[in-house]
Amino acid sequence: MEKVQQVKNEGLTAIEACESLEQLNQVRIDYLSKKGHVQGLMSLMKDLSKEEKPAFGQEVNDCKQALTQALEQKMGVLQESALKAKLAQEKIDISVAGHKPIIGTVHPLMMIQQELEDLFVGMGYSVAEGPEMELDLYNFERANLPKDHPARDMQDTFYITPTTLLRTHTTAIQMRVLEQAKGQLPIKLICPGKVYRRDDDDATHSHQFMQMEGLVVGENITLTDLKGTLSFFAKKMFGEDREIRFRPSYFPFTEPSVEVDVTCHMCGGKGCNVCKQTGWIEILGAGMVHPNVLEMSGFDRSKCSGFAFGIGLERVAMLKYGIDDIRNFYTNDVRFLKNFNRFD
Amino acid sequence: MKISYNWLKQYINLDDVTPNELAQKLTTAGIEIEAVEPFVKGTNLVIAKVEACEDHPDSDHLHITKVNDGTNVYQVVCGAPNVKAGIKVIFARSGAKLPGGTIKKTTVRGAESNGMICALFELGVDKKFLREDQINGIEILGDDAVVGEDPIKYLGLDDVVLDASLTPNRADLLGMWALAKEVGAVLRKEVHLPKCPDSALINEPTHFHLASETTKCPYFLGKVVNKVVVKPSPKWMQDQLHAAGIKAINNVVDISNYVMLETGQPLHFYNLAKLANQDIVVKDNIEMSLTALDGISYDVHKDDIVITTNGVPTGLAGIMGGDDSKIDEETTSIFIEAAHFNDVAIRNTARRLGLSTEAATRFIKGIEPMAAKKAVDRCVQLLSELADAEGFEANVEAGSNDYEPIIVKETLQHCNQLLGTNFTAQQVEEVLNALDFKVKREDDEFICHIPSYRTDIKIAQDIDEEVIRLLGYDDLKETLPQMSATVGALDPRQKLRRMIKDILVGMGLNEIVTYTLTKSEHMEDTIMPFGEYVQVMSPLSEDRRYMRSSLMASVLSCIAYNQNRQSANNNLFEISAVTTQDKVQERLAICLSGHLQHDRLHQVAIKSDFYTLKGIIYDILERYGFNESRIMIKENNIDTTHFHPYRSACVYIGKDLLGIFGDVHPSYAAKMDVQNCVYAELLLDVILNNKVSKVRFVPLDKYPSVSRDIALVVKEDVQVQKIIETIKRNSNQLVRNVEVFDIYQGEHVEKGYKSVALNIIYQAGDHTLKDDEINACHNNILDNLQNKLDAKLRG
Repeated sequence: MEKVQQVKNEGLTAIEACESLEQLNQVRIDYLSKKGHVQGLMSLMKDLSKEEKPAFGQEVNDCKQALTQALEQKMGVLQESALKAKLAQEKIDISVAGHKPIIGTVHPLMMIQQELEDLFVGMGYSVAEGPEMELDLYNFERANLPKDHPARDMQDTFYITPTTLLRTHTTAIQMRVLEQAKGQLPIKLICPGKVYRRDDDDATHSHQFMQMEGLVVGENITLTDLKGTLSFFAKKMFGEDREIRFRPSYFPFTEPSVEVDVTCHMCGGKGCNVCKQTGWIEILGAGMVHPNVLEMSGFDRSKCSGFAFGIGLERVAMLKYGIDDIRNFYTNDVRFLKNFNRFD
Repeated sequence: MKISYNWLKQYINLDDVTPNELAQKLTTAGIEIEAVEPFVKGTNLVIAKVEACEDHPDSDHLHITKVNDGTNVYQVVCGAPNVKAGIKVIFARSGAKLPGGTIKKTTVRGAESNGMICALFELGVDKKFLREDQINGIEILGDDAVVGEDPIKYLGLDDVVLDASLTPNRADLLGMWALAKEVGAVLRKEVHLPKCPDSALINEPTHFHLASETTKCPYFLGKVVNKVVVKPSPKWMQDQLHAAGIKAINNVVDISNYVMLETGQPLHFYNLAKLANQDIVVKDNIEMSLTALDGISYDVHKDDIVITTNGVPTGLAGIMGGDDSKIDEETTSIFIEAAHFNDVAIRNTARRLGLSTEAATRFIKGIEPMAAKKAVDRCVQLLSELADAEGFEANVEAGSNDYEPIIVKETLQHCNQLLGTNFTAQQVEEVLNALDFKVKREDDEFICHIPSYRTDIKIAQDIDEEVIRLLGYDDLKETLPQMSATVGALDPRQKLRRMIKDILVGMGLNEIVTYTLTKSEHMEDTIMPFGEYVQVMSPLSEDRRYMRSSLMASVLSCIAYNQNRQSANNNLFEISAVTTQDKVQERLAICLSGHLQHDRLHQVAIKSDFYTLKGIIYDILERYGFNESRIMIKENNIDTTHFHPYRSACVYIGKDLLGIFGDVHPSYAAKMDVQNCVYAELLLDVILNNKVSKVRFVPLDKYPSVSRDIALVVKEDVQVQKIIETIKRNSNQLVRNVEVFDIYQGEHVEKGYKSVALNIIYQAGDHTLKDDEINACHNNILDNLQNKLDAKLRG
């Protein structure tokens, strides 16, 4: 019996002393294999009396069980520390830069266009387009700018023939849509596009630029509707706490006509270099559609009214992003383009 | 338009309004004041007396003076030739800020100098208004000048000039009288304009004969004045003309300019004695040359309006008078011209001759119908007062001035409805009366009698604008349109553009926008041409003459720009309309150079090459909804001038040519100064015009697949696509996918041959494939490859 106890104690001590799975395996072989010490105890059985045998057998079994249990427990502990050691060896330098797939950029003018399209589409506007090579009829005459109208001087034009030209404003698109509508109300659209004027290119002028005009015609459309709509636009584009104001102006295709200022987004209206200390920045022109325009396009001027507004996309982008030279938009230096890697 | 504040003060009491406040109010009412500037600029100026003046010992022209400003005596070094002891001068003390800079205490050739004795131009007065002696020397003040007082006030130059930017509908504001009316309306103040006797009542018989033979001069009003005395005009008139930007010359000429500034009516005074005949005929259809009063000879064309006597031109009507009959010191009698000339004719002539005179500007912008009469009345008055004029004859007229006063009606309800406001009848009426519209109320209607100068007021909406403009936009509410609902949505073309942008930006490309107008050299490099080029009639430069009809040159120019600035990877795209005389196409251009993705640390490199570009095109087309089987790639036999003949291809949707893509031809690349570019130009209309398949769910495979790799050796000109097609065609529906994973030429492969390694996935939808089945199929495939393509399994 003492012998059994001795094997058990020695075995437990050996298990406890193991530092690796290999050593533990050796202990298992030493004690629990067919030729191991525990099996060796069974050879003592033959020297025992019949009465003593069951108790001795029981004793050996308990010893086997105790060693097996201790072995499994120890195995668990050693496996865990082996895993830990392996993981520690796999350590990487997390400060090394990740592989960042390059994502491209939308051109800043197109970003502004998309933002505006989404804004107005959300309010039920459709997006109309038209040709850049346009008839004088739609660009000027239908817009209440008959031949020799003094305001034609304001927008020097690239003529292609005496009756065709590069459109000078996207108003031309509006005139086409109005004609197609054949007097049917309501009209609610925006029309983005490239326009052209005979200006020499410099930091603030470009012979080609982008406009987005809006037009709403219905029953009882009012000047306050125009203000509400543009106020909404200004807040979405320049920040929720922006306000707008109207100043009287003149466009042949609207009456009354207004210039629209927005409180400066740089200083919040306190006055800074961007707003020339006025707190306000001129952003667009607008007005109530001139009755002549409605009439020429086949609408009954006594039964409907409407408003129109025209936004220069370059101007909006320059203000919003702080761009100081309009030519940047058309030079397309990739260093410039990469500034615009997200919608603001 | 330069507005003299002092001039306005003659008509309106402005005591409680500073120039800046006035500017603010006018701007708010729609007359944008761009600048408010004192006519004379300078601080710390004082009238001083030169007490002593000696020559500077170390200079041949400088003087050392002692200047007394009533408080102190300063030593001042002065270089003016006309400085001397005893005179009174404008003295800028040390610290004075003048247009040229700040005056500081300094030492000039060893002599201390404390301040500066000034000439008027040094205070910002334009030299064109000054005499020779005023430009060459300092300003010498009169004996009545009081030492220690403000010299600007003494000189009467304490005026402020408001620079107004007028909208084209308000040309009336080019006349000070109409402007005063506007200021009066804005400030709600009374306006007192000069009252002139009606010159038409002068009945002295006249022998002067006047006629117009052109419709471009519908009305001409003239008057003979038999006696005038030419002399300098009074100082107040000179000062006001200068403030308005016009040089004073003599009383008679000044009156013609002054009255033009008052009434807006350009005037011309003829030296009556120098007119060949007392007979003026306005004509066009003349070709001749004419010396105008600036002494320059101008060619008269058929479309120009000219003033003639005896059939000979004596003036460019509405632009500039002739030299022969100009007013000079010897003039003793004059003929006054106040006429209406056609704005377009004047504009064309003025533009051609480069003469944008005050008169021309006013005719081009439009003058009010009663201007001629008002101007002649006023001339008679001022000539009598300031030029001792006598011997006025009766008016002579050519044509007619059939002006009918305009009446415009508006109701309170319509006005409030358009504006979205709740103005009361009293408010509206008050505004309309402030504007001198002489309103009569009939029921709910305002009947407005529009003054002759307000030619911009024609319809009810014009009245509404006046109301809101003068009652102020600030209180306008913000509402949104109340109307039947509309659905806002992008159309298929707009959605396609967005989809393409999303894909390309996601892949790392940058969108660009380039100019539409381009040069003829670029037009020669149009790819996929589709019609006659469009050119503008008067381009700004030859570089911007044509509307482009393809995008390639623009996009490559942009690549060149960036490559020349050390940008190695340039992957750009543009979506734009291109135009010919018959048609507009919308095209997508993609240009890749360098790497699309490159990360050396993590060993990621996607080269910007033909295959990357091809993959991108497939991605777009498949994402749009075209099955791979509908996309055809064919050899490029369309354009091998701009594309590498053996590294480019045409892509078709079914039978429609979608575009060309591939390596840019090395010769063209050299011409455009670009390196290593692949380029694609695709027609968006072809994408939009072809139907796409619907998105369908395909049941997931339930049974396992088997993968087999093979390596084949084929002749190098066998297209890989042919191998894949051969495998698929002979697969008995058991091949799910074929993928090429290596193409190799070189060592161990016979010259003229290539090795192609493929992975074939076998799979059936309804059962697990058995080895026998796969082997039979695989062998069949190998046989067919051998028979049809002479492809051998690589040992």
